[in-house]
Amino acid sequence: MSHFPATPGCAAEVSPREEWDAGTMGCGELVLELREKMLALRPGEYFRLIARDPGAPEDLPAWCRMTGHRLAQANHPQYLIERRKEP
Amino acid sequence: MTKRFCVSLTYAKNDTDKATVAFVVANAAVASDKESIVFLSTEGVRLAQKGYADDIHEQGFAPLRELMANFVKAGGKIYVCSPCFKKRGLDENKLVDGAVVVGGAKLVEFLSENAASVSY
Repeated sequence: MSHFPATPGCAAEVSPREEWDAGTMGCGELVLELREKMLALRPGEYFRLIARDPGAPEDLPAWCRMTGHRLAQANHPQYLIERRKEP
Repeated sequence: MTKRFCVSLTYAKNDTDKATVAFVVANAAVASDKESIVFLSTEGVRLAQKGYADDIHEQGFAPLRELMANFVKAGGKIYVCSPCFKKRGLDENKLVDGAVVVGGAKLVEFLSENAASVSY
């Protein structure tokens, strides 16, 4: 499992529990599959996502705001998401 | 923020691009924890028949049959306009999973309770 590098001003380096290279998948297909993968994690665990779709930089923060998952780091096409506490 | 989302779709094989994108957006809604429906009316009701969408596969998208199945698997519902369905002589015993034939009142009830909607 690879490590996600720490960025200045952010929390120390974390080790994602899972990771997924979604390639160019985007829009509803991307977030629906991402939803299943995030909910398979335990609360507080991290997920590393690579999403090259040009809509991802806008979509993923919006999706995290709606679902309660925390977008810990975003550096397109790499994203680090912390699973929400709620089921 | 509203918790309900409706995608209204009036096309089937007469515009497979619109039919596909409608379900892609519906998948985004259900993936975002919205109580989500796709409302099929006029020509769109044909998509509710088992097997109809099997050969619809727009370039750059997953096959429509897969998009529809994923939507339902994630908790989405497909409302099928009753008069549109009957007008076309379709078979209510051959509905795809997650589809239910409804009248206007069912749609009005859903939309009237703080739902957002987009149409294709």
